[in-house]
Amino acid sequence: MLTAHSLTKRYGPTLAVDRLSLEVERGQIMGFLGPNGAGKSTTMRMLVGSLPPTAGRATLNGHDVLTDAVAARRKLGYLPENNPLYPEMRVDEFLHFCGRLHRMPRKLRAARLGVVTERCGLSALRQRTIGRLSKGNRQRVGLAAALLHAPPVLVLDEPTAGLDPHQIAAVRALIRELSGDHTVLLSSHILPEVERVSDRIVIIARGRQVAAGTPDELRRESQETDRATVYAEVQGTTQRVRTIAESLHAEAAATVEPHATDPHWQRLWLRPAAGPGVRMDLRVSLARAFADADLTVRELRRENVGLEAFFTRVTDPSRGDHAASDGAAA
Amino acid sequence: MSAVLTLARRELIGLFASPIAWVVLALFALGTGLVFAVGFGPGRPATMATTFDATVWLLVFLTPAVSMRLLSEELARGTLERLVTSPVSDTQIVLGKWLASLVFLGLLLTPLLVQIGVLYASGQPDAGPLVGGLLGVALVGALYLAIGTFASAATENQIIAFLLAGALIAALTFLFFFLPESGWLPARARAAVLYANVNRQFGEFNRGVIDAGNVFYFASMTGLFLFLAVKLLESRRWR
Repeated sequence: MLTAHSLTKRYGPTLAVDRLSLEVERGQIMGFLGPNGAGKSTTMRMLVGSLPPTAGRATLNGHDVLTDAVAARRKLGYLPENNPLYPEMRVDEFLHFCGRLHRMPRKLRAARLGVVTERCGLSALRQRTIGRLSKGNRQRVGLAAALLHAPPVLVLDEPTAGLDPHQIAAVRALIRELSGDHTVLLSSHILPEVERVSDRIVIIARGRQVAAGTPDELRRESQETDRATVYAEVQGTTQRVRTIAESLHAEAAATVEPHATDPHWQRLWLRPAAGPGVRMDLRVSLARAFADADLTVRELRRENVGLEAFFTRVTDPSRGDHAASDGAAA
Repeated sequence: MSAVLTLARRELIGLFASPIAWVVLALFALGTGLVFAVGFGPGRPATMATTFDATVWLLVFLTPAVSMRLLSEELARGTLERLVTSPVSDTQIVLGKWLASLVFLGLLLTPLLVQIGVLYASGQPDAGPLVGGLLGVALVGALYLAIGTFASAATENQIIAFLLAGALIAALTFLFFFLPESGWLPARARAAVLYANVNRQFGEFNRGVIDAGNVFYFASMTGLFLFLAVKLLESRRWR
């Protein structure tokens, strides 16, 4: 439905997007994730044909977005970055304008306007001037405009930007409802927003794909590659806690410091070294070791496990170009 | 065609939401009204020629104020992104914008109709120069607005769009009006400049002569600038 074949965008010497390929299948929701400046909007603009790529091509519903542009755009609902609107227009006026651009007959337009304003929670605001709406409501107007002509393909660039948690949940539910009859590509720089609605997630950083898969696949991959730090609070001296922790796993980096408010307690961070054994769960052996030494443990947990840590790691700006295949992978 | 009308309709909403439209309407009515009033009186010829001539000069400053926002504003707001991802062509976008400015021009010129009405009420004016002059003024306005549309496609800054349109129009009017007076200009260049001067082309209309050559001048110049505007809009995407 929506494909990119090694899309590349160069701005002078800067490589904004580097040979990015992706394919969103019919009825699928794909989350497009990356930190700010990773090239998400540039990629999306190339996918909808408003920005020609330096190399590569994109197709929408089988139509090339540049050579067969008008046919491709008929099938497209697009929420551009920053959701540009005409502030002097009323909500209804604007949506009618969008419908006319898509050549919707008057009756159909009126009917669909009722449906999308209802769905986007705009029913009470249809006569309001867009410029006087809150940012959240303006975002809903942008979404309503993208949905108005019931396009088979939706490209939403940061659809939840500027919304409060309730509105984010509502938009998420709305997008979830769209799956099945719509093919959706939505971008975000916040992982939980796409994690829950997407069938597939593509993560990019510095213009390149660094990870891709279903949320479950990514979760599995993250567990296999993440060196999770174990945090513990233990009663005893700094020296004693350090000795025990280091004896447990010689390669590990242990940080021990007295608790700020409870001087009898030590705070310990133990991070396994890269290499074999990275998947070892240090919690069990730590608990045993402290029990054997007769030290009391009041807290013991793994830090930074899961997709969030994985996302932070694969998009880390300090990582080199080929860092996606980390040597630590088991 | 319907896309052009849709775009023009939206543009008019935006145009009348801005104070510029009303200021331009007021200044034009005031300016032409003054010129008309000065030349109007018992024993004076019942003609609009002086008013029409003044109109052509007045429009040099007023039309860029109307056209400067046409595409610059869409560029600055980012709303052009919406238009170019809708099933409309760049040509339709440019024509829609220009058409909206033409509708505004029609409204702008209504004070002239009122003045013509006053002439008929107080004497027996010659209909030929009135019809020709009015047509000429409309063609001049349409050309100025096409130049303005082109200038507006060049930049997202409305002030630059205003100045660029003003400079281009001033070249075709002031510069080409006074340049032939200078002695150093080669004869061929002088003829070309004389031909390209808007005021001289308009002069024929103002005498009541509707000549195919003069109509061709305005149609081709207007077409040229609209074509350039489309090309400029297309090229923006390749940057």
